[in-house]
Formats: sequence, structure tokens, C-alpha cells
Amino acid sequence: MAQGDKLKGLKGAVVPLLMISIWWGLAHAKFFPDYLCPMPEKVIGTAIRLYASGELVFNVKMSLFRVISGFAIGAGIGFILGAGMGFFRIIEKTVGPFFHAFRQVPLLGWVPLIVLWAGIGEAGKIVLIALGASYPVAMNTFQGIRSVKKEFIEVARVFEFSNRRLLAAVILPSALPEILTGLRLALSKSWMMVVGAEIFIAANGGIGDMMWDARDRFHMDIVMVGFILIGCIGFLLNQGILWVEEYSLGWRKTFEKG
Amino acid sequence: MCAAGILKIEKLSKSFNVDEKELKVLEAINLDVVPGEFVSMVGTSGCGKTTLLRLIVGLDGQYEGDILLDGKRLSGPSIDRGMVFQDHRLLPWLTVEQNIGFGLHDRKKADRKAIVQQHINLVGLKGFEQAFPYKLSGGMAQRAAIARALVNRPAILALDEPLGALDALTRMYMQAELEKIWKEEKIAMIMVTHDIEEAIYLSDRVVIMSPRPGRIKRVIPVPLARPRDRDSFDFVQIKEEILKEFHLEAEKYFAYSI
Ligand SMILES: Nc1ncnc2c1ncn2[C@@H]1O[C@H](COP(=O)(O)OP(=O)(O)OP(=O)(O)O)[C@@H](O)[C@H]1O
Ligand SMILES: [Mg+2]
Repeated sequence: MAQGDKLKGLKGAVVPLLMISIWWGLAHAKFFPDYLCPMPEKVIGTAIRLYASGELVFNVKMSLFRVISGFAIGAGIGFILGAGMGFFRIIEKTVGPFFHAFRQVPLLGWVPLIVLWAGIGEAGKIVLIALGASYPVAMNTFQGIRSVKKEFIEVARVFEFSNRRLLAAVILPSALPEILTGLRLALSKSWMMVVGAEIFIAANGGIGDMMWDARDRFHMDIVMVGFILIGCIGFLLNQGILWVEEYSLGWRKTFEKG
Repeated sequence: MCAAGILKIEKLSKSFNVDEKELKVLEAINLDVVPGEFVSMVGTSGCGKTTLLRLIVGLDGQYEGDILLDGKRLSGPSIDRGMVFQDHRLLPWLTVEQNIGFGLHDRKKADRKAIVQQHINLVGLKGFEQAFPYKLSGGMAQRAAIARALVNRPAILALDEPLGALDALTRMYMQAELEKIWKEEKIAMIMVTHDIEEAIYLSDRVVIMSPRPGRIKRVIPVPLARPRDRDSFDFVQIKEEILKEFHLEAEKYFAYSI
């Protein structure tokens, strides 16, 4: 078991190691000028320097602040919207079509409108992230509630459950797997959107801002630091929700558990 | 434990709409069940047994005729009419213990725990308190479902093939247990079964139903002392009488189809 897990961990490291080797090879062979393809060791040095100066921590904090605010607001609104559409046909009939139409607009298409309405300060960025986060949560919450089995609702009815108890004891637990999937998709979307928001809506700090700024000054090493950081933090956020899922959905007979 | 519960079914008919057409499932059903009585229903698959039980517990409305409980027309389910469903319907996100305590939501925690434990022992699921339903065999799940329906001590309990998934030995054990509970708690039980011996062993009366549309063909009383001996002359006599009804049915069926 333990050995198998270790092996699995090693397999996950194969591709990154391979890419770093290729990068190292290309940089040292000097195929490209240094300002386009900095050496890995230089990037590590830059990362350490940025960390020591506090710049890196500041930018990560700014990005995380925007992601968490936008995600919380968007997930909240998405949940209410999805639950509303799931429970009430009238809301589904009236709000649903608009919802599906707006969903077709790429998030970046919203940028001009959002900048006009919410400005280029924090509000604009948080609105953009919230918008991105709300769709997957609304869709999955709706699906989750609609797929609650009628059979289980009947069990609760035989025991004379109030609507509130029915909601708490049957509908929400039954819809939880889908709701969590929605939250996971929303969080990773929020994380992707923050970089876009910081680039497209002028930002004061944040990883996206740091990268864009460095690009202007041809500091490719800083861009690479940002790039790697985005990947790593995104991965950790995803793992976090996966862990929550595993913890709260232990009752499922899943494929992995066999 | 609640109302006395004299059940009176008069001229009951029930139809479903299938593809715009009316499908008559039950016709002219007359049946009385007195408090503490044990009634079994036998009949071919699709003759409306489940439908009749659902009407009795109040899960289906929309019928012609009357279903009266203590003289009052039924309106919806109530905690003093329980049901064991044909498919066990354990909630997959709750452990065995939580499933069995599912209907005990208005009891004190300590009481609840004691009642649940008592019923876990009763249906022989000791050691599986913390197991999720996906880990149970079909028979174990059915026993948990029986325990769940019993904890509230309903005045009337509808059982839809409750022992169908059990092996012969466990089945005989559960029949004896069911008889014990029935005697001690004075619960009126209405049980659907495909096992004629089981029906005779447990029932005061056996209701034989005929299909398309479902009607009561005959009601056969079982005036034997309990516990009953399956090999006794009287027992076998009654069994043959019931089987004869089925043979007639089968002959008629083949006569039609030839
Ligand atoms: N909700 C429904 N809508 C339409 N038709 C239904 C519905 N429920 C049951 N029926 C039909 O009513 C008939 C009787 O069904 P029911 O489930 O009561 O049979 P049953 O006697 O319990 O059969 P079995 O022994 O196989 O469980 C069947 O023909 C079934 O197709
Ligand atoms: Mg049935």
C-alpha cells in the first residue's frame, strides 16, 4: 500500500521534472536570448529575492484576497440562484433562460461592462471573479437538487418530516456531491480569472499584475516565477476541495474505492 | 401507540395515466383491517399490491372510493402508519445506525440511542452500526429498513415484500421475530409477499389478489394457533387451498393466451 502510494507520488513528478530538464537544456544551449528564456537557477534566485523583499508575499496575498472575496460572493449568489431554480419551477422558467444566455458570454466579454459599472478598483475585479464563480455553483446546485431521488423524499414523508427537515436531512445531503463539484470548478475558475482580472483591469498588486509589469520591463524571470506560482497555488486550492469532498462524501461507493 | 386505527377500505379504485391513457390498477377493493391484525396480500407481479400499500400509508392520493382510518378519510402520510418499501430505500449518506434512527427525530438523544440499539440487535445487525448502506448485503439492508420502520411503533405497518431478499434460514428467523414484535407491540401489519408459507405462518387472513385490474379475489382466514407448525395438516391444507386459487388463475391465463 504505502509503497504503491509512494510510486504514485513519483509518477506525478515525472512530467514536471522532464519539463524542467528540457527548460534547463534549452536555456543552457542558449537557443533563445536570455531575456526570453531565463535559466532555471536564475528564476529560483529571483523567486528568493522577491520573497525576501516581501514583494512575492504581498502579491500572493492580493490575489488570494480577490479570489476569496469573489469566490465567496459568487458561490453564495450561485447557490441561491441554483437552489431557487431547483426548488421553484417558476424561477427556473423566468430566470433560467437569461441565465443560460448570459452563460454563453465569455467572461472576458464582460470586462468592458464591469469596468464601466464597477470601476477599475478592487470592486471591478471582484465582480468579474464572482461572475465566473457563480455559474458552476448555480448549475451544479440546480442539477443536484433536481436529481434528488423521489424515493428518498417519500421515506421522509412517511415519517412526517417538515419541509425544513426534509431539506436538511434529505435534499441537501443528497445534492452535496454535485454542490461540492460546483464549488471546486468555481474555485479553480476564480483562480484563473484573478490573473486575467489583474491583467485586463489595471491592478495594484497581485500575481497577474506582477507578471504584466515584469513583461513590460522584459523581466522574463519574474514572469516565470508568477507562472509557476499560479500553477502551484491553483493545484493546492483544488486539492483542498478534493480533500473536503473525500472527507464529507465517505458514504459513496466510488470507483477508486472499488 | 397512537390512535386505535381501524382501517376501512371501501370500493377503492385507482387508475394511472400512462401515455394519455387511463390504466386501471385497482378496482372495487373492499378490505377492513382491525387494530393488531396481521393481513397478507399475495398475487402475481403487477396486480397492484404496492399501489394498495402506498394508498394506505398516504403516499398516493387521487383515488375513487374511500380509505377510512377510524372513520376519517385519509389525507397524506402520518407517523402512525409506517412502511417498509420493496426496495429498501436506506439513505446512502447515513450509517446503519443513523438510518434506523431516521424517523426518531423528535426524541431525546439518549432515548434515541437506546431505541436504535435495541432494534439493531433485534434485526441482527450488531457490529454494523457504523457501516454505510453500500457495504450491506441485500438482506442486511432489508433488515435495517424493517428496523427503521419499527422504531416509531406505528399503529399500522405496511410491509412490501420485507423478507424477499433473505436466505431461507434468515427468513424463517425474521418471520418469527416479526411475529414476536407484532404480538408484543400490537401493530396492525399489512404485508405483501410472494411466499405463501410465509403468509400463512404470519397472518390472520390472507388476501388473494387477481390482476388487470387488481381486485381481491378471495380472503382466506387462518384460524391456527401460534406459533404455527408449517408441517401440520391444517397448515398444509390452507396452503393447498391458496395454491388452488393460483392454479385456476394460471389456467385461465393460458386459456386466454392460446
Ligand atoms: N406511478 C405509476 N404510474 C403509472 N403506472 C404505475 C405507477 N405505479 C404502478 N403502476 C402500474 O400499476 C400496476 C401495478 O403496480 P404495482 O407496483 O402496484 O404492482 P405489484 O403488485 O406491487 O407488483 P410486484 O409484485 O411486481 O411488486 C403495474 O402495471 C404498474 O405498471
Ligand atoms: Mg410491488
